[in-house]
Amino acid sequence: MKIPYKYFKVAIEEKPSINSLSNKFFQLGHEHQIVNNIFDFEITPNRGDCLSLDGLLRDLKVFFNIQNHNEVYTNKIDNLRIEFKNNSKSFCPKISFAKIKIKNSVNDYKGELKNYFDDLNIPTNNFFTDISNYLMFETGQPTHCYDFDKLTGKIILEEIDYDASFDSVVGKKINLSGNNHVFKMNNEIINLAGVMGGLSTSCSESTSAILLECAYFQPDSIMGKAVKYDINSEAAHKFERGVDFLSHDRVIRRFIQIVKNHTEIEEVQIISENYKEFKSIAIPLEHEKINDILGSKISEDEYLCRLNALGFVIDNDKILVPSYRNDISSQNDLAEEIARSIGYDNIPLKKIEIQSVKNDKNLFEDKIRSFLITHGFFEVINNPFTSAMEENSMIVDNPLDSNKKYLRKVMINSLIDNLTYNERRQKDSVKLFEISDVYYFEKDELKTKKYLSIIASGRVGKNYQDFSKKINAKYMKGIFKSLFPELNADFKILPRKNLDSKSQSEIIYLEIDIEVLKKTRIEFNKKIDISTEFTQYQGISDFPSSYRDLSFLIKDPSEIEALEKLIFKFHNQILKEVFIFDYFFNKEKNFIKLGFRFVFQSKEKTLTIEEIDNIMNSIIKTTSQLNSVEIPGI
Amino acid sequence: MSNDKDILPKINLEKGGFHPINQTKDFILNILEDLGFTHIDGPEIETEKFNFDMLNIKKTHPARQMHDTFYLNNKSYVMRTHTSPVQIRAMLESDPPFAFSSGGKVYRKDDDATHLPMFHQVEGIVIDSNVTFSHLKDLIYKIIYKLFDEKINIRFRPSYFPFTEPSAEVDILSESGDWLEILGCGIVNPIVIENCQIDSKKFNGLAFGLGVERIAMLKYGVNDIRDFYKSNLDFLCQFK
Repeated sequence: MKIPYKYFKVAIEEKPSINSLSNKFFQLGHEHQIVNNIFDFEITPNRGDCLSLDGLLRDLKVFFNIQNHNEVYTNKIDNLRIEFKNNSKSFCPKISFAKIKIKNSVNDYKGELKNYFDDLNIPTNNFFTDISNYLMFETGQPTHCYDFDKLTGKIILEEIDYDASFDSVVGKKINLSGNNHVFKMNNEIINLAGVMGGLSTSCSESTSAILLECAYFQPDSIMGKAVKYDINSEAAHKFERGVDFLSHDRVIRRFIQIVKNHTEIEEVQIISENYKEFKSIAIPLEHEKINDILGSKISEDEYLCRLNALGFVIDNDKILVPSYRNDISSQNDLAEEIARSIGYDNIPLKKIEIQSVKNDKNLFEDKIRSFLITHGFFEVINNPFTSAMEENSMIVDNPLDSNKKYLRKVMINSLIDNLTYNERRQKDSVKLFEISDVYYFEKDELKTKKYLSIIASGRVGKNYQDFSKKINAKYMKGIFKSLFPELNADFKILPRKNLDSKSQSEIIYLEIDIEVLKKTRIEFNKKIDISTEFTQYQGISDFPSSYRDLSFLIKDPSEIEALEKLIFKFHNQILKEVFIFDYFFNKEKNFIKLGFRFVFQSKEKTLTIEEIDNIMNSIIKTTSQLNSVEIPGI
Repeated sequence: MSNDKDILPKINLEKGGFHPINQTKDFILNILEDLGFTHIDGPEIETEKFNFDMLNIKKTHPARQMHDTFYLNNKSYVMRTHTSPVQIRAMLESDPPFAFSSGGKVYRKDDDATHLPMFHQVEGIVIDSNVTFSHLKDLIYKIIYKLFDEKINIRFRPSYFPFTEPSAEVDILSESGDWLEILGCGIVNPIVIENCQIDSKKFNGLAFGLGVERIAMLKYGVNDIRDFYKSNLDFLCQFK
């Protein structure tokens, strides 16, 4: 909701600066941004009363003197006789109508009406609809204008429970289904109550007489209608959050006054139908309870003074809640009012003592996680939505993607996706695991299992002992045996057919119930503590990597360390990774061969051969200072 | 060259890594454990009763609409939209005073550049005989100081959650001068306490909840929340 700063400034006697006003709004809980001196509010859903200029000014009374200069039509108004029947009194306990007929059409706006459309750059529609929209902004009360001359029968408000359709005022056909409250005329829908009016009775630039409708609709019955029918309705937004039950007379008189400010009124009549008497909510005056909730020491005088400023009425031993505050019903609600007016940041801290009762429920899983990480595995987290239906899979009634409307009952597809995603990104060694709950439905009962899933493929590792070894079931079983010596885990070799990857390496997969693992002896009793240092993420490259291998012949083994130092300390922005992938010791000739792999990747572009060669030449030059180290062929 | 071992270059066995979201979640849970909270767990698939009704989230609340919550098997269940039902279940089985923490996956029907259908929360609740908003503030300051550092500027501002009253959102001041929302908290609504068969005249409570992804993004400097769930090894290996 956008409101220019100057609208507040003109009404506030103290004329606060925009920053000061912004701080006060944050103190009151009205989150906002400011762009070009216009506040853009995000009002919490419980504060429907603040969805207007007047509502926010009312809240500011706790800090400032507010002057409301808005003129209201004060002349006596004749009673309107109208053919109307309310068959949904519980949905609409109060409704008012006014007939307004003008002498001349209005083309140019003035005053607040002109400012509103100019300042917020809102396109105009027609005179009466524009006043209605402006008043919703000013007062928070939606109104609806019917072109009086298009009303040809009795208006009936009723609940329907059948499919029906009508053309809305914005020209869109709305197909109604389920239960809806509608205004009808001659058995045709002319208005989806509280959401949007119909085209057949809408106003136009030539309209000279209107029937203005001003109603209170039960918020619960309006809730979700605009979303259901994909209608952008500011009125529904306000009705859903609750409007002021007692505002009708003032809002209609404001409407008439704005009309009068623009043109001569030929005819005006009003009628208000009340089916329920408004009764203020009364909360016992117990100011010590407020201190008990907040931990504050506010005197009763200060307590009452603050509530008074917010519009609450003190009636002996009761606090009467104003008609526009449908969010207040308890001492805790009043405590929040006091806390807002004081400022949450001004409430002092009091030391909290919590008696510790420790438990470490996930220790078993943490041991498994720690073990796998020690062996080079990375933990992944996948969401549970899948296209694969298994027997007893749970079905999502309202999936985000209709192709993924099941909850995974097994984790294999997620892990295969993770594997192939990395293989397509040139990863020749992928070792991943996930521990997650899965859910399914069996014999009318919800069932849960927690699985450990492991997937691995490619090289065993990036060191000279493991580089040429490929991950296979034997290797994985060996690792797992060192974790669970008494368990024969069923590692599977997954077929590569139909997978989106060019790799030919075997895929080894295990999925096992954590409860099964808990029944066997675990050998690894360490838990790696998570790091309390948060390494700054460096971003990842979208460009391909390249590598170069260099083989060094070392005649004096004492030079190995010096060579490693030189190479591993060599830094360059595009040199991403270096490791020794080959080691050969020739005992007879007494020399060692070390193979280094250099991996290059840029975050900005695909590297050229020349760029890589330049760095390789620097590395070669750096290592040439070692006397007993040679690079065969160079 | 007397022994092969003497001349072997060192082997750097590459370690893997915990997922950065789980690292962050555990980091927060460890802070809460140090403060005296008892860790509890609960199901990710819930009934409307535990996910909404018990938490004073009325039938008509927008959060319960099909466009916000994932419903399962003809509305028999919901995918929990927060970890609060874990606390409700624990409250029903425990006698106060107690302090529980819970963390895990939660689901909402969102999918855009800043929201995912699955994300993680950590929540805490304290039920005792005379805890106040002043105690809540002390607790939140302690948590944020441990999460960031004691020089950080903190702002409390009123907010709205059906299960707390008064409710607050807490912001920290970033280096660029913007306030960043970090967590939601409040005094447990007495209706919720009564729903859990605890006498709200004798006991009251404090509660708070943090979005793990948000904290992880701030701590690690990750700008795109979606990066956490691509399972990209180039990404994951940066958080070892």
